[in-house]
Amino acid sequence: MKMKKYVSLFIVVSLIMVMLQAGCTRAPENSEPQPNAPDETSDLDGDGFPEDAVVGVALPWLGTQNWAEADEMFKTQLEAAGFEAIVQHADNKVPTQQQQIESMIQNGAKVIVVGPVDGSQLGSVLEEAAAAGIYIIGYDRLIENTTGIDGVVQFDSIKTGELQGQALLDGLAAKKGEGPYNIELFGGGPADPNAPNFFKGAMSVLQPKIDDGTVVVVSGQNEFTQCATLDWDNSKAQVRMDSLLSGFYSDMEIHGVLCPNDGIARAVITASEQAGQQLPVTSGLDAENETVKWIWEGRQYSTIAKPTDTLVSKTIEIIKSLQAGNGMPEPDTSVNNGKKEVGIYALPPLVVTKENEKEAFANDPGRLELLK
Amino acid sequence: MKYIKKILGGGLRDYTMVIALVVLTIIFNITSGGKMITSSNFQNLISGNAYVLVLAIGMVMVIVIGQIDLSVGSVAGFSGMVMALAVRDLGLPWWLGVLLSLAVGATIGAWQGFWLAKLSIPGFITTLGGMMIFRGGVIWISKSISVPAPVELKVFGAGYLPEWGPTFTGMNNSTLLLGIIAVAFFAFMQLRKYNRSAKLSEKTEELWAVVGRIGLIGVVIGYITWIFGTGRPGTSFPIPGLILVVLVIIYHIITQRTTFGRHIYAVGGNKSAAALSGVNVQRTYFLTMLNMSMLAALAGIMFVGRSTAAGPSDGSGWELDAIASVFIGGAAVSGGVGTVIATMVGGLVMAVLNSGLMLMGVGADRTQVIKGLVLLAAVGFDVFNKQQGRQSIIGRVFPGKRK
Repeated sequence: MKMKKYVSLFIVVSLIMVMLQAGCTRAPENSEPQPNAPDETSDLDGDGFPEDAVVGVALPWLGTQNWAEADEMFKTQLEAAGFEAIVQHADNKVPTQQQQIESMIQNGAKVIVVGPVDGSQLGSVLEEAAAAGIYIIGYDRLIENTTGIDGVVQFDSIKTGELQGQALLDGLAAKKGEGPYNIELFGGGPADPNAPNFFKGAMSVLQPKIDDGTVVVVSGQNEFTQCATLDWDNSKAQVRMDSLLSGFYSDMEIHGVLCPNDGIARAVITASEQAGQQLPVTSGLDAENETVKWIWEGRQYSTIAKPTDTLVSKTIEIIKSLQAGNGMPEPDTSVNNGKKEVGIYALPPLVVTKENEKEAFANDPGRLELLK
Repeated sequence: MKYIKKILGGGLRDYTMVIALVVLTIIFNITSGGKMITSSNFQNLISGNAYVLVLAIGMVMVIVIGQIDLSVGSVAGFSGMVMALAVRDLGLPWWLGVLLSLAVGATIGAWQGFWLAKLSIPGFITTLGGMMIFRGGVIWISKSISVPAPVELKVFGAGYLPEWGPTFTGMNNSTLLLGIIAVAFFAFMQLRKYNRSAKLSEKTEELWAVVGRIGLIGVVIGYITWIFGTGRPGTSFPIPGLILVVLVIIYHIITQRTTFGRHIYAVGGNKSAAALSGVNVQRTYFLTMLNMSMLAALAGIMFVGRSTAAGPSDGSGWELDAIASVFIGGAAVSGGVGTVIATMVGGLVMAVLNSGLMLMGVGADRTQVIKGLVLLAAVGFDVFNKQQGRQSIIGRVFPGKRK
């Protein structure tokens, strides 16, 4: 019976606490209407906010190096700038990311930086944030299908694709002698709006060469949907490469593979190695540590560096402009996301091969260390 | 003490999980500095978890018949994608898309029910197959690219009730009306029960205990109404939450008050005995699976409405959230035990954990670890109590139909 006594006592106490809570929350809600004021939209060049305001950063996952770096850099650089940083990652799950953004709104964030898991599935959550007067900055990926977005910081993805295509052609000419060259094409994760753009950019360079017979896509798989790699998952790319090699290259040599990022490039190289092929020339993206080594060893031909610190510093620059009350800076270009014109802050990507590797990472001691 | 006990109408131990839910909420409210119990967070909590709870309603019935459904996430993703594609590419009006999607869900359910009931393939295998088939299917039909959903659907996933009437109430009047209806309904049911038992002269309760209970529940519902109704203007009790409440009432009645509901518990408790007493086991299996997939389709639609687009990976892992809710709610792995309302409490425990840990800034990695431990603790506690020869505590949370 004693047990019951305690339990019921507990209920009474909790009820009282809930009641007290009711009394407490009411006052601030009425006296401080600012964060929830309905007429304050994020399009206005507002009056800025305190220097120690909360800034939320919602990242998709930590599964590739660029995101892990972004996680670390946002934490340290936002704290260094005096903001209170909430940096979370969503394990590549859309519902988790939606809830994380909502909890950032709850935590009173003034700016939320979003690297979306799926660029088109955050519509109502971001509109809710915008209605609460929060600035939303897209990070690295375009956010589509919503009005609740103020601008996107990213590397120019069409340009990145063009550079990937060009690097592949340069590599083929440098390593594989005279054409025609046998190549295969890989695309990125279809849920990421950048992925089709990379592919489009690369194809704008490769298509003329395919048409004049310099390069041949042996499998004939040259549509983005045929080449896409679900979730940017390296193992899925490796499985596809394995089957391409056994299906089309049993008595033929593969010369080059268009790869949208480094993980996929390494998967492709590994698959070719296991199939007993000469290593194909590949493109890449992100300059991951392992790839930096592979390029130095001559196993992977090229990658494209999209230095995470450039991306993070540009984002923080925008946040500081917002904090000072200057609104969003003038974007470089704009793109229609299906609901509105979104300003794009485009940063230039950089092709890295063994020839320019040392200078490319001159300011990056961590990666320079790998070039031994 | 015995007065409180009488008001609550039964042993206090029957309310373990509800108490856990209240305690968790309060603890998180303190540790997050008052961010847990706010209008907007409660609204988020409901609209962000309604689809999983809808799945859990179907799942508890599947688990009670002693089966399991692993395909619900894939089915939800597939049905949602069918709807988005039908509206975008075939130009159907949005409501026709919704009906089509529910029909697709029912068809899938019939397919799984056929394998389980007619061919006696265990539910685990049937639905493992379904999980692969429909995950592949959604990627196939969408070409693994997200499809924007019709804007009207946003109402189902993230909509709020309309604002109307006088402003002196200081809150959303639709929410207020709902609260008043809920209190009135509860009072009516209690008084009717009291009157009936009085007529049959089996008077077991004093009138003051009944009135006290009505008062207590009235305060609780009133408080919840107040929280939901006083958010940012234009917000109210969320529409996905309303859909959920309606479903809970319907399915509570189906499982506790109808012949079909009794058959579900009978088949789950002892299949052979049920068959011998004239229960059509195959039909019960078939209908339960059909119902599950239809609810999965509805969950998919609600999620698409919230996300404003249907994506190729929608629904991955939802089956596990739904199954966890059911077991935290005290269902038995062997079947025959579990109720819809206890499952909702189990699901809300998970939801509150999620939300509270996020507010505290705990990452998705450690949140998973904690949720896993809570699941083990809840079920382990239950099993421990059974082994000790005592009555299962969690199993008694809410009176269900048991052997």
